[in-house]
Amino acid sequence: MTINRIVETDSPEAFIEEIEKIQGVLPKRINANSKNVEKGLSKLVLTLIELIRKLLEKQAMRRIDAGSLSEEEIERVGETLMKLENKMQELKGVFGVSDEELNLNLGPLGDLM
Amino acid sequence: MRIYTYAIIDSNNEITAPINGLEGIGVYNIPYRDIGIVVSEGEQIQDITQEHILKHEEVVEKLMESFTVLPVSFLTLFKKEDDVLLMMQEYYSDFRENLDRLRNKVEFGIKIIWPGETIKNRIIEASKKFNADVTIPDNSPGKSFAKEKFEKYKIDKEFAEEADRCIALLDDFFSRFITEKKLEKLKSDNLLLNAYYLVEKEKQVDFKEAFERTRSTPGDLKFLLSGPWPPYNFIVLTKNGDMFNRKPINQNLAEKNTL
Repeated sequence: MTINRIVETDSPEAFIEEIEKIQGVLPKRINANSKNVEKGLSKLVLTLIELIRKLLEKQAMRRIDAGSLSEEEIERVGETLMKLENKMQELKGVFGVSDEELNLNLGPLGDLM
Repeated sequence: MRIYTYAIIDSNNEITAPINGLEGIGVYNIPYRDIGIVVSEGEQIQDITQEHILKHEEVVEKLMESFTVLPVSFLTLFKKEDDVLLMMQEYYSDFRENLDRLRNKVEFGIKIIWPGETIKNRIIEASKKFNADVTIPDNSPGKSFAKEKFEKYKIDKEFAEEADRCIALLDDFFSRFITEKKLEKLKSDNLLLNAYYLVEKEKQVDFKEAFERTRSTPGDLKFLLSGPWPPYNFIVLTKNGDMFNRKPINQNLAEKNTL
């Protein structure tokens, strides 16, 4: 059907699997209609919360790595992160959203997470 | 009746070779100043099928044989020709600039798979053997959680650094024959690199040879080369141009369909 183009690989199955994996993650748009608008919006909100949670976690890990947190501070950070993660799990369960669905495609900028 | 769009081209002349678009309807060029937009007429498409997407891609590739093209995203429709001309007027300077920059250039895609799981396991094993720079006591739930997260963070960090080193070596080899590139690292643990390279048409052979030499190097990497493609990933618009931002639908599907 297509012309002049080549696709060369020794491992077509492996690439099909990976392409399907990365394609399957992200819808290009939130499919919002009267029936699923609640889920669409909750997915968007949870994605943003998850992004902030991951940023906080990464920042905390960087600070631990740099040795700039005391034992007490690590304790507090650990507890906070644990509570945040548990709360996110709870919210994902309430709105029926899986980990894989928590992402957004930002067009030319790539994926949010 | 709707107007279905395929690509902006660097010509305001009629298309002489007959090309059939979606639903078997012939395409034609709507001129605007010194450029044009290739379209076909038809009712609104009811079903979006793989066949429709690949047909769109096929039209763009046929146009690519004779013109510099800026492919338009699948399913970009206008109600009437005046709307198309208004859009052309609004984006003309962007289109002109991109057509000049992308003249005689094509896009190639390179995907590289590495044994992500094996590499991660190796990093985990190594981290067990060597004493960590930072040790966190785990005598409370908070500290235990922080310790668990920190260990994962260190492994992920080392994994990403190893990917960076590997990509730098590979990309250096391909980059000798290109004018622009876009690299996506670790889209999944196994997909080490998903890269788009803009290559001058006359350097296509050199680029493919570089790929073949790299691919034939012994190792655990798996390679995929695809192209030449229209320059999906190298169109830069100063205004918001959603009509160009859905390219992976066509490209990934066409790539997968060919495998």
